Amino acid sequence: MDSALIPEGAKRCPFPVFATGIAVVGAVLLWGVYAMGLCWLKGLNQTNMNDYYGFAIWIWADLAVIAIGGGAFFTGLLKYVFGIDELKNIINLAVVIGFICYSSALLILAIDIGQPLRGWFIFWHANVHSMLTEVAFCLSLYFAVLTIEFIPLILENRQIDKVPFFHNLSHNMHGIMAVFAATGAFLSCFHQGSLGGVAGVLYGRPFAYREGLLVWPWTFFLFTWSAAAYGPCFTLLVAKMFEGITRKKLVKDNVIHLLAKISGWMITTYIIAKIIDTIYWAGVTAPDMGFSFMDFYSNNSFYGIWILFTEIVLCGIVPAVILTIKKYRENKKLLLVAICLGVFGVCLNRWVMVLQVMAVPVMSFDTWALYLPSWQEIATTILPVAYGIILISLAYRYLPIFPQEQELYGTK
Amino acid sequence: MKIDRRSFLGLGLGAAAGVAASPVTWKLTDDSSIWTQNWPWTPVPRDGEVSFDDTVCTLCSGNCGISIRKIDGRAVKIEGKKGYPVNDGGICLHGISGLQYLYDPSRVRFPMVKSGDNWKQASWEEAIALVATKIKELRKNGMADSLACVTGSDQGSIAGLYKRLLMAVGSQNFYTTDTMDKSWEMLIAKMHGVSAAAGFDIANSDYVLSFGTGFIEGWGSPVNNFLANSSRKERQAKFVQVEYRLSNTAAAADVWLPAKPGTETDLALGICSAMITANLYNSEFAQKAGKDFDAFAKLVNEKYAPELVSRTTGIDVSKIKNIAVEFAKAKAPLAIAGRGKGDSAGSLMEFAAVHAINCLAGNINKVGGFWTLEKQPALTWPSLEMDDAATKGYAKPPVGAMVANVSGSSGAGTSGAGISGAGIFSAVVSSVSGQTTNSVSRLFEVVNISEKSPVELLMVYNANPCFTLHNAKAVKDAVNKIPFVVSFSSYMDETSQLADVILPSHMFLEMSQDIYSGAGIAQKVTAISKSVVTPVFDTKNPGDAIIEIAKAMEGSIASSFPWKNYDACLESVTGKLWASLSEEGYVASELTPPATSVAADFSVFANFSGIPAIEGEEKSYPLTLVSVDTIRLASGVFASSPFAVKTVEDTVLLKNDTLIEINPETADKVGVCHGDYAVISTPVGEAKVRVNVFDGIMPGVVAMPEGLGHSLGAAGEVVTKDGAGMARIVGATSIITTTGGVSSKTGALENRYIGGKGINVNDLIGPVTDPVSGLDVAWGIRARISRV
Amino acid sequence: MTQDNHGKAHKFGMVIDLDKCTGCGSCMVACMSENNVPFKEDETNKKDSLTWMTVFKLTNEKKFPETDICYMPRPCMHCGGKGDHGHSPCVSVCPATATDYGYDTGIVSQIYTRCFGCRYCMGACPYHARYFNWWDPKWPDGMEEYLSPDVSPRMRGVVEKCSFCYHRYQEARDRAYYEERRDNIEEGEYQTACTQACPAGAITFGDLHNPEHQVYKLVKPDPHQCGKPRNPKAFRLLERLQTNPKVYYISEREWVRKAGDNYRKGEWGQEKQPVHDKGHK
Repeated sequence: MDSALIPEGAKRCPFPVFATGIAVVGAVLLWGVYAMGLCWLKGLNQTNMNDYYGFAIWIWADLAVIAIGGGAFFTGLLKYVFGIDELKNIINLAVVIGFICYSSALLILAIDIGQPLRGWFIFWHANVHSMLTEVAFCLSLYFAVLTIEFIPLILENRQIDKVPFFHNLSHNMHGIMAVFAATGAFLSCFHQGSLGGVAGVLYGRPFAYREGLLVWPWTFFLFTWSAAAYGPCFTLLVAKMFEGITRKKLVKDNVIHLLAKISGWMITTYIIAKIIDTIYWAGVTAPDMGFSFMDFYSNNSFYGIWILFTEIVLCGIVPAVILTIKKYRENKKLLLVAICLGVFGVCLNRWVMVLQVMAVPVMSFDTWALYLPSWQEIATTILPVAYGIILISLAYRYLPIFPQEQELYGTK
Repeated sequence: MKIDRRSFLGLGLGAAAGVAASPVTWKLTDDSSIWTQNWPWTPVPRDGEVSFDDTVCTLCSGNCGISIRKIDGRAVKIEGKKGYPVNDGGICLHGISGLQYLYDPSRVRFPMVKSGDNWKQASWEEAIALVATKIKELRKNGMADSLACVTGSDQGSIAGLYKRLLMAVGSQNFYTTDTMDKSWEMLIAKMHGVSAAAGFDIANSDYVLSFGTGFIEGWGSPVNNFLANSSRKERQAKFVQVEYRLSNTAAAADVWLPAKPGTETDLALGICSAMITANLYNSEFAQKAGKDFDAFAKLVNEKYAPELVSRTTGIDVSKIKNIAVEFAKAKAPLAIAGRGKGDSAGSLMEFAAVHAINCLAGNINKVGGFWTLEKQPALTWPSLEMDDAATKGYAKPPVGAMVANVSGSSGAGTSGAGISGAGIFSAVVSSVSGQTTNSVSRLFEVVNISEKSPVELLMVYNANPCFTLHNAKAVKDAVNKIPFVVSFSSYMDETSQLADVILPSHMFLEMSQDIYSGAGIAQKVTAISKSVVTPVFDTKNPGDAIIEIAKAMEGSIASSFPWKNYDACLESVTGKLWASLSEEGYVASELTPPATSVAADFSVFANFSGIPAIEGEEKSYPLTLVSVDTIRLASGVFASSPFAVKTVEDTVLLKNDTLIEINPETADKVGVCHGDYAVISTPVGEAKVRVNVFDGIMPGVVAMPEGLGHSLGAAGEVVTKDGAGMARIVGATSIITTTGGVSSKTGALENRYIGGKGINVNDLIGPVTDPVSGLDVAWGIRARISRV
Repeated sequence: MTQDNHGKAHKFGMVIDLDKCTGCGSCMVACMSENNVPFKEDETNKKDSLTWMTVFKLTNEKKFPETDICYMPRPCMHCGGKGDHGHSPCVSVCPATATDYGYDTGIVSQIYTRCFGCRYCMGACPYHARYFNWWDPKWPDGMEEYLSPDVSPRMRGVVEKCSFCYHRYQEARDRAYYEERRDNIEEGEYQTACTQACPAGAITFGDLHNPEHQVYKLVKPDPHQCGKPRNPKAFRLLERLQTNPKVYYISEREWVRKAGDNYRKGEWGQEKQPVHDKGHK
């Protein structure tokens, strides 16, 4: 039915099967859109946020998707700037994931703010001291870059490619893609960092506050680094998921292992930095403000020391070890465990740096502020996931996002 | 032109680029944000010239001077009046919220007549004619005495008009709610033999010993006490609070003595004993009292020695003795009584025991001490005409008469009708026995137990007995039993809901009246309030309503109300004071102790055998439930404003649940945790509540706040009319007005900001009659908590 | 605009005597009434209840009858931020400059029509002094009549907070200029609504730069320590975070002063002096 649009030589499931799948996910998407509509029309009273807990679960989702979408900028950086050419076989996937993640992040921000129609004031009345201003500028610019990176891929669709103008456009865009990728990597470095800075500059919140370099707190660098380190894990995870669902080999093992190895070393260095940061914060920064380390992990029903252990040891040191040691990373199961842990770990880190920050009491007579999201918040948080699944399925079906697919498929 | 895919795409892209680049996008973006900055549903207050208007707040008996800030004549803010003797610029949260009372959604907007379960709008003429006809009928049938009236206080010309109407009609059934002031007045009459009000020179006392008063929870004149409390810290005056619970007053005190509930009298007598034993008392008083004093000394030394009292109260012997010594040695010590806000009466003997400490210290009518203040200046009423029906009716005793055991040498304070403005009753005062007191609780009790209500027509003004009286549910039953109830309330409160006619009064900012400020303090202030805002609804000054009712009844009744209107009446009855009142707004008494020297009569203790116990058996009800006052909740006639409710802590009210306060030890015994639901049962009723675990309350005591548990408002529907006729619109509790045949909904007579929230503690506590004074002196009840 | 407030500029601040405060709530209601603060049918969730001025209830956590409580009124602290340079926790994070530091007054402003409701400032404030308009403000029929034109009612979706009744400052300043006194405002001319209403006289308001003003006399702010009180009975909430609030508390009770900040075991008593940074790095 839609065979004319499917990349040449690629085999895709029958259209009705595909359409059914999309419809199911589409229903979830509509649920999310309904919740989003409620938030826009009735206001944020639809959420369970309050004045003590002003950041919803979706802000965590926002930070998490940007972190795991970090694979796009980092892979782009490696390929276009450092010239690791093998990565061209996975860069398309990284770009699509990045595009999905960043568009989702922007959508979440548009839902999150109390006055969406005034959202552009962040540019018009920008306060250059605010980390959020930096986030907004870099995020939107980088989204523009990702769109530019995504366009040539769309233009490679079989039918569009037939139009000479688009064919040429696509070709020319490929030619200058390195410039965009480099710009993107730079922008992304900054906004990943400024997202880290968002929490790190809060000197009224001892759990989040970090000292730093110039205007940037240490979390600025840690966020960039962790996104670069763990982002590829998510790219790999998505590739693995595709291979699992389609029961086809789509990316060659050497590419996978190369990216896994790079990720492993990045995680190793990151986790060392993170441990140093934690020790300094727990031993110097927080005590100066009158807090003992365990104050942040006790007297409440959820946030225990387990969360720090999980983040640093289970989801940091363990994947680092697996991915850096050749024998382990080439073991399919261990590799899968490692990338899963990695993705979970970076998401957990974002959770801690946003939601736990709000929960920890600061005044001596405060109590922990724990909250449960409303269904509207959950639906709105799931919305980008559904949107992502639909977009990436469409991309897989109609665009050549796995350049090695044909080759691999052919050999089978 | 053939539109193929290329040109279509091209056109599309071109159009998109064109729109993006055109000013339209930017204009729309800008406009939409400007729209959000001016949402039509977000009000924009009108600006204008600023002016101020002064009056007096009558939300409680403190009666602070207030200043109303106006913009272009529109009242926007209430502030404390600088220099006013009571509050000097300070103001409590209820006073500030006055404007919310003005626009309260439960305000009765026009006279209404009950028809079946619904309300019908009536004109003032109709409503007044209806009430007048009813009273006329009663008189015709020789039932003049079955007209009764309940008001909040008997002070002032409006209360005077009600009393006068009752007399002219022929009924002694005039009732005011029992307050600590009544108890004090009775006690002064008994112990000092004078008719006077109690004054407390707290601001100059260097040692205040308080027996459970909510000194800074709204007792007496709240703002004055706040000021005194602050200055106390600078004057280094000591404050000792006797209370079973760490109230705000106890927390502010220098010493907190948590005596077991109900043992305050024991403790007071224990202190007396310690003073007498240590020979630390004023011998002048003792000598004057003679034998009675010796008997008193014998009583306290035998039965209330500190060692004995220590066992009942739970207070160390050394502490009791220490307080006695400190009190006796202080320059200007003062013992005060009157639980909570003081808007309930206290056991006369408890007050006597506390006051005995004052007498022993001999600080009566001295700086920083207890003052016997002259009552408010009497109003000068013209003579009253009583026709035959009236004379006959008036000869009958009041329904709620309680034979009191007080035989003071002057009858005025304890006279049958609770009269203070003696002028009105000068014709008959001698015929009133000095032995009885009118008890409003007794009134409703009698109505309930009688087969046919002895009260045919009840008028309620400035009172909400169906909410504030103990065992409020029984009071509601009684009010329901009374054939015709006329409410003068400005609001659809618990009592006016049960009325047959509502003649809505102006709220205090809309009306003039004479006001007697200064409850609980040493200074008496007489003030005139005036209408500072244009009445919002079709309401009347209740004084005018009464005058009009009287005029409608013609004959001797009409001629007893010769004034054109209430303002004329006010001017005439205030007499000599009028000139200075209308000019200055108020007249304040001197801040010097009364020159009268008084003796102390200790014979009141002659047959003393303790104070009335609270209701209930300890066996089945192991705990003691006490009602507690908090300044943030209005607990009297007025329900709390939305602002006030907003300040109430979530340990007092959570969603629509009242929280009861208990000690962790009590919670363990019952098996409940903070926030849990529980059922509290008393001999009078039971309620589902939540638990607030607080270390500051004595184990075994359960505290429940006053002022919650108001009903939502109007029950049934309200039918309004206009010239075109009646418009009947179905829909409970909505008022529909009809203009030119078109119906429009104007809102419901209900206040959802306080209505429907929590439990009325008065539904759980029944009245306890003090055999000595005849007043209802309940402060608690035995109770049981069970898990849900 | 001058970048330091050690010159002739004002530094308005507040001193609250916690031993005088009775927890009566007048300050809260005076504030709501002055500033057109709306209310809802249910205000018992204190975490979404708009109270620019709120009163915390502290306990000493001791058992009966050793228990003690203290009420602590909490307006916006109008923090000077690290080094007292005006980079308050909230001002420094607002992306749209909707909240700003007045270098001439020391007052932290809030522009409702510019705020787009990201709530970052709320996360930054350790005092919970900032409130979000989760709902459209709604008054019962007719009650809008009492709204004051001096403070515009806020629309849903924006953050609001105590302004130290800035409109009262503007009025006093306008009068001073009109009477040719420049901005020479008398102490009594500019007082916040809560100060004016407090029936206990527990709140004092004035210019912390003016040694003649009561607030200065009460706490004796140390100019070399970013205004840290020199009166040993005075303290600022969370002094150690270096937010440099302009609201001071006074109490004779040691446990109350201790509750004003966080101390690790054994730290209280041998108080560690916070080293005040000379500003933002």
